[in-house]
Amino acid sequence: MKKFLLAFSIVVASMFVAEEASAQIKAGEGQVSIALESNNTYYTKDQKILDIGKYKPNEDTARTKGDFGSNDYLKVDYNLGRFSAGVQVDAFLPALWGYDFYKFQQRDSKMTAFLTKYVQWEDQNWGVRLGDIYDQFGNGLIFRSYEERALAINNSLAGGRAYYNFNNMVNVKVLAGLPRLYDVRSKNIVWGADLALSISDMAGWNNGVVSIEGSYVGRYQNDISELQSMIDNKLLNMVSGRLNFETAGFTLRGEYVAKLNEDFFDPGRDSAKGNAVVVDLGYNYKRFSVSATIRRLQNMTTPIEMVKPGIGSGNTINYIPLLTRQHTYMLANLNPYNATTTFAGGSEIGGQIDVYYSIRSSKQRIKYWNFHANFSMFNSLDHKSLDGNTEIKGRNAWIDFNFDVERQWSKKLKTTFFYSYQRRDETMAHEDAVDAYYCGSHIFVADVTYKFNKKHSIRVEAQYMAANNYEGDWVAGLIEYNFAPKFSFYVSDMWNCEKMNDPKYGGNYYQYYGADGYPIEDSYGFELMHYYQVGTTFTHKNFRAQLSYGRNRAGYVCSGGQCRFQPAYTGVNLAFTLTF
Amino acid sequence: MKKIMFLMLALFVGFSASAQSMPDVKVENQEGKVISTRDLVDGTPMIISFWSTTCKPCIMELNAINDNLYDWLEEVDMKVVAVSVDDARTLSRARAMTQGQGWDDYTCIYDKNQDFKRAMNVSLTPHTFIVDGKGNVVYSHSGYTPGSEQELFEKIKELK
Repeated sequence: MKKFLLAFSIVVASMFVAEEASAQIKAGEGQVSIALESNNTYYTKDQKILDIGKYKPNEDTARTKGDFGSNDYLKVDYNLGRFSAGVQVDAFLPALWGYDFYKFQQRDSKMTAFLTKYVQWEDQNWGVRLGDIYDQFGNGLIFRSYEERALAINNSLAGGRAYYNFNNMVNVKVLAGLPRLYDVRSKNIVWGADLALSISDMAGWNNGVVSIEGSYVGRYQNDISELQSMIDNKLLNMVSGRLNFETAGFTLRGEYVAKLNEDFFDPGRDSAKGNAVVVDLGYNYKRFSVSATIRRLQNMTTPIEMVKPGIGSGNTINYIPLLTRQHTYMLANLNPYNATTTFAGGSEIGGQIDVYYSIRSSKQRIKYWNFHANFSMFNSLDHKSLDGNTEIKGRNAWIDFNFDVERQWSKKLKTTFFYSYQRRDETMAHEDAVDAYYCGSHIFVADVTYKFNKKHSIRVEAQYMAANNYEGDWVAGLIEYNFAPKFSFYVSDMWNCEKMNDPKYGGNYYQYYGADGYPIEDSYGFELMHYYQVGTTFTHKNFRAQLSYGRNRAGYVCSGGQCRFQPAYTGVNLAFTLTF
Repeated sequence: MKKIMFLMLALFVGFSASAQSMPDVKVENQEGKVISTRDLVDGTPMIISFWSTTCKPCIMELNAINDNLYDWLEEVDMKVVAVSVDDARTLSRARAMTQGQGWDDYTCIYDKNQDFKRAMNVSLTPHTFIVDGKGNVVYSHSGYTPGSEQELFEKIKELK
């Protein structure tokens, strides 16, 4: 509690600072900018959540007994003309529960901080950066170093990067470094090169973009893990080839990648080579647009270190996101697609399509209709079971169809209606099953915003999920009252209103498995539970704080197409950001 | 831990307010060509709003600005730059969405490696900046509550 109060007092201090310093600091000719983000949770005791622990003997329930977690980020940058430099301190005091960072830390759970830094020169046609590098080649299928704070992922490369651009026609980039693995620096080296040729610029074609691109990425294993000794080559090579074509509202982007050496994409399975194809198609005409993605993946998940499993999604040098729509409504997000990457050996084939259309009156700009439809389908590929004994045929893992229509009736009233049908093969989140077990759900949401005047407005959400799966039906609601521009208050509840103990996955003890194939979570007979939240946000210039209290359901929290498993907890959250 | 906290607090003390100029970073435009963010500075004041396809308040804010844009343009000269921070996964969805939401009057740019986001010190979206005609960042705020777009308009008017 002391720590929570300390965090709170920093929030108050930050508010005064935001008042005083709304802009930046000049340091000589250059300028300094600072950003602070802090996420704190004080966990409270909740008997209902503790009861879940009875069903789950492996569950770490210590966190429900009044513990504290805090993920904090302080970033300071200096900029002088083409030169810039910066540091970032990530402090985990200790890491919030449920983050893969926390899972990784359990080796020696403690408060920890990690420093990243860089110096950079950006010239007109070339640039050099030393220190921590964030970059990606193409879609990131063979290389992406990035930061995703919602999942506490940061795999920046500590090393160097240089690029040269010749009249936009030729772009060459090289980089090398040691990837960050949570709060340690890996000893393994990752290097890569990327070449992009713009055919349209070479031909002087101004009506569109045609480019050919290619990349190479190598990973050299310096660690002598048990798994490493099982493959011959310490060096892993990956290549990518890409073609981009865009003209008059039409887009076609294709990428093929291959993992040329055997690698343990999943420590539970045999080592394997891998490949992937992804094709993006887009078309737009006035206010109508379509975007579609098709992807086939096989064994492309590539870890930084082939260490013992159970350390989660931060152990990666590339980016294999889920392509399904990431929902913002509570019930649509209850059981997101996270299946084939977990249990079908990291392989899938599928695609998704989005269609947008907007109707606007040319006279009354304020009145419009926005339509959006989305469909996705993913199948697993033929693969061997985790124990290597059974051949499992590929089959449908996920289908969803979503439709939403947004209508601005007048300056005061806006409504959104949303419908989603989702069907998943439940086995894929639990086990290597020969037969599918499909669970489907229909989700309905009505979302209404009413503005009383320029400052006061109210937003109400009503949601219902009709499900045939073991969790039964759910109902949810949210009321949000806004005093623009500074305050907002909200209260919400999500209630599992129909008890259903499915003979297959409900009622009995059952284990969930992580992406690495090791059990991370156990299932139980579902209770009728209220998951309530009450909270407030405060915004003042560059300062924003959110204070909330509530019970959180166990489930997947997804951001940018990647997910982490969040165990159930009840607690007080205080999050704030300050930039200047 | 306390030491770190005090260090942070100490850092905050004694800052004098002055305008920051917009950083120069490479991003993609609607056609997929690489452009420099400094090229956006052309003497017209602008609202720069960071958004992504999965950020609902961001889309609400950009729609609210869009609703008011013609009324505002009657009083001030300005433009709106919508910066998508969507990565490779949702980039094509973001491109489709700018069309489908009717943001025809916006300058849409795509920051798929999030270099512009990092350079502007954006940690949470929505985060909206007001930049004057010379490229100085004169105001910014994060988060969106319905109606807060009015504050942006007031600040833009002060630039006149």
